Amino acid sequence: MIRGLHRPLFIALLSSFCAFTIAANARMAPAADAAADGWAGDLSPIAASDWNYERAAHLIERAGFGATPEEIARVAAMTPELAVNSLVNYETIDASALKPFDESGIWDPGMDPFPPSRAEAVRRAREHGEGLGEKVLAPGTQRRLQPVVDKFFYSLTANNIETQRLGLWWANRMIASPRPLEEKLTLFWHGHFATGQNKVRDYRMMLQQNRMLRANASGTLRDLLVGILKDPGMLVYLDNGENVKSHPNENFGRELLELFSMGVGNYSERDVREAARAFTGWTNDVLTYKFDTEQHDFGEKTFLGRTGPLNGEDIIDTILAQPVTGEYMAGKLYRYFVRDEISSDVKADLGRSFRASGYQIKPLMRRMLLSKDFYSTPSVATQIKSPVHLVVSTYKKMGLREIPTIPDFGRMTGGLGQTLFEPPNVAGWAGGRTWITPATLLQRGNLFRDVMFPDVKSFRPPDRAMSATDTRVGERLAQGMNITEATREGDAESNKMVDRDEDYNTRYGGYAGNLLAFKRTKLIPRQPAGINLTAMVTAAGADTADKVVDHFARRFLSVPLAEKDRALLVGFLRDKLGSSTVKPGDVLESSLRELLYLVLSTPEYQLG
Amino acid sequence: MRCQCTRRDFIARGMYGLGLGAGLPFILNRTSAALAAQALAGTSIEKHSNRILVVIELSGGNDGLNTVVPFGDAAYYHARPKLGIPERDVIKITDGFGFHPSMVGFERLYKDGNLAVVHGCGYDHPSLSHFSSMGFWHTGVPNGGESLGWLGRVADETLDPKQRNLIVNLGTSQSLAVRSRQHSPLVFDDPARFRREGTDTEKQALAELSQSRTTPNATLDFLASTAHNATESSDFVRQASSAYRTPVDYGQGGGLGGNLQRVAALIAAEMPTRLYYVTYQGNNFDTHVQQADLHSRLLMYTADAVRGFIDDVKRLGRGDDVAVMIFTEFGRRVEENGSLGTDHGTATPMFIVGKGVKGGLYGRPPSLTDLDDGNLKMTTDFRRVYATMIDGWLGCSQTSMILKGQFETFKVFA
Repeated sequence: MIRGLHRPLFIALLSSFCAFTIAANARMAPAADAAADGWAGDLSPIAASDWNYERAAHLIERAGFGATPEEIARVAAMTPELAVNSLVNYETIDASALKPFDESGIWDPGMDPFPPSRAEAVRRAREHGEGLGEKVLAPGTQRRLQPVVDKFFYSLTANNIETQRLGLWWANRMIASPRPLEEKLTLFWHGHFATGQNKVRDYRMMLQQNRMLRANASGTLRDLLVGILKDPGMLVYLDNGENVKSHPNENFGRELLELFSMGVGNYSERDVREAARAFTGWTNDVLTYKFDTEQHDFGEKTFLGRTGPLNGEDIIDTILAQPVTGEYMAGKLYRYFVRDEISSDVKADLGRSFRASGYQIKPLMRRMLLSKDFYSTPSVATQIKSPVHLVVSTYKKMGLREIPTIPDFGRMTGGLGQTLFEPPNVAGWAGGRTWITPATLLQRGNLFRDVMFPDVKSFRPPDRAMSATDTRVGERLAQGMNITEATREGDAESNKMVDRDEDYNTRYGGYAGNLLAFKRTKLIPRQPAGINLTAMVTAAGADTADKVVDHFARRFLSVPLAEKDRALLVGFLRDKLGSSTVKPGDVLESSLRELLYLVLSTPEYQLG
Repeated sequence: MRCQCTRRDFIARGMYGLGLGAGLPFILNRTSAALAAQALAGTSIEKHSNRILVVIELSGGNDGLNTVVPFGDAAYYHARPKLGIPERDVIKITDGFGFHPSMVGFERLYKDGNLAVVHGCGYDHPSLSHFSSMGFWHTGVPNGGESLGWLGRVADETLDPKQRNLIVNLGTSQSLAVRSRQHSPLVFDDPARFRREGTDTEKQALAELSQSRTTPNATLDFLASTAHNATESSDFVRQASSAYRTPVDYGQGGGLGGNLQRVAALIAAEMPTRLYYVTYQGNNFDTHVQQADLHSRLLMYTADAVRGFIDDVKRLGRGDDVAVMIFTEFGRRVEENGSLGTDHGTATPMFIVGKGVKGGLYGRPPSLTDLDDGNLKMTTDFRRVYATMIDGWLGCSQTSMILKGQFETFKVFA
């Protein structure tokens, strides 16, 4: 993070600092620090005399995406207060070097508003003679609706690809931004106000929502709630366009109460219905929020004891007046940044001050990140890294400032259960131990073997990948089969249906849509990680197997290795090198990569 | 009471009688034999130690009224002027009820006498929240604070804790339903990727580094024990899946059919697993808007996949040993909403499928007019169906202890 820290500020911090040398601090491991055991639950700030390298590393791990030892040393050289302030007050740091998202331009005139289903696209096209910007073929032509169906599937695939590119763009912000907490908070809000492109089917809405969340990430909860409830992506995701006076749709009101603000059990079913009524008419005109007066229910409502002709913002304000809202939200931020378990005292305390401050996020973050509780034994190295954090922070700790694209970033995190812009449902990612299954735990290590030994030759870019079915259709067409023959398979009912409607063939539409999407989306440039572990260990002065293992452990692990595991790794490297001393050469680089793969595959490495 | 002879006979039949053993790769054979030996040594569920229960979760809240359609009730068409399935399209199974027209797979199973429908399943004081309600179904303790899953508790009460891999959960994350005090469920999504990469030396080193341990950091211990389990089981699962070939068509839609085929592969490979948990992922059944087309597709995929799975296990000679239970966290409101969809509701049918099932309709259909604030009043506590699976199918006598109450079973199993 400190890379981009405002230079004058940073120099001022450094020169004001004199109490300890970095090297002396670095030897003090928090695990051995008996004081930290008693800090749990203590929200008072940590003293400057208790500040050290390990605690600075913990701060950057949680409030950002980790850092290299050099960067951590610089934070360790500040006072804790300055270190936390430099993370929290990030607006003063210039982030203009970060590139905006480079859009491919996949939307054509006629594609808005996008139909909710293929069936609806077909129905509209039958009625109007065109759809999604494509003309229906002349009557009598075989499969006359095929261009519209092709275009429908094109849009699904093209938006998927564009969303993959968007995820990579965001990951690059996470690794390169001089404001790591801004990105970490934006990621938190993305999981909290979870919205998935799979349902929204429009990457533009996802990008717009991402900008809104970032702009308000450390502002106030009220601005975030109003922002998200007027956000086109969320309105579509929760079907609020369908929440109309005559038929209120409860989804929006329910998720607002249950997931976004108060938590289950703190309101009645009637409150859900009344909230739904208050949000009737909150809808969107493609990318813009729209209040539809015709569909809004202006009648009297009773919500959480308040009665009147309440509108959506009244509902939000009533929610914010509830003490439980402060506790629920402060508790959720605490569990994300500090640890999974929160005591009722801490929750009540943080909740009270959060609400009293007018739900300002910055003071809450500052208080949590400075607290002794944050640096106490139960808070340090006890969190399982989210997949996105795992991958971004590994690259960052290697010293990279750009996300490598072989292996593919989205595939890496997706295989572990987290794809940016595609949370599993409106509750977001459950996190914690749910990240870990026997399969994902193996996979968490495997990823890094692909990073260390990238398979450039047989790499298949997922932004150009076709499903097995589509590939088969393509092959059969190339063999000269007609569309009906090429798309036929199996005897299950669902397989017999694809060509049932004579006006179009669904499976061919999927195939043709893919091809068009590949043509019209920008290709993700592919390159493996540019890492040089020989240079890394040389710079660290690690000239023996022991020192190399210690350097990797210190650089990458948040918990110390058990002595027997350390010995095993030292032995492994010694066997590879045929010697205890480390000499540059091809064998060294590949051996270091094997060793680092092992370190990154340990149970210890999952903890941050 | 244990039933070792049956188990031993079965293993002999499975390994040699069907000729499966001879065709499998060496490591699979070796592991299979080891796992089988382990199964013989340990205690199994009482009475029926061959029996396997497969639970399928349809997440999102399946619209029960458009799944098992009460076409004989005018109130249904009154509440669903746009979404009601016209009587002429319904696949009729009795005078008043029939399947959604896309469920040809279920029609087949029903005609074969292998499918039971249980009407009106739910619980008192229903929650309309996906997360709360699903949690209640997962724990089997509605409106209670249970932290273990009902299948996890079945395993705790009846299966040998020293035996591994008795519970398999196909999915990207572990379901609360299989959370157990003593058993560590094997959870995976894509078997092909369920492996440790690297050279033999690297893998050996990683096996050492992944040993279970006891430290002051409980999360670290959890990670180490999961890593240990993964190392032990992944080769078997992967090879069983990649070696599996079947002529049966599980239909389109990928997810559920693919996962059920993976279950069939593990059954074919003699995995000692007794409880399989499979999800139709992604809250798919949450059809608030424009539901007709989507719901039809989901039901078709589901019916095709389950029909394919039952055909496949019959083909493997294990038809008598496998039963499937299908549930969702709630049904949907009786009245359609203004968006050609349906909102969260309450009672909904459950399904029990298998060769050993006495097909038919069970339970009392809920009234479509005597409603609770627009929602169906449940007629069957869903735990009666759980009890039927635990007691009637698995033959376990501790049912009331597991479910924390007495629940009358349905006579679905002979």
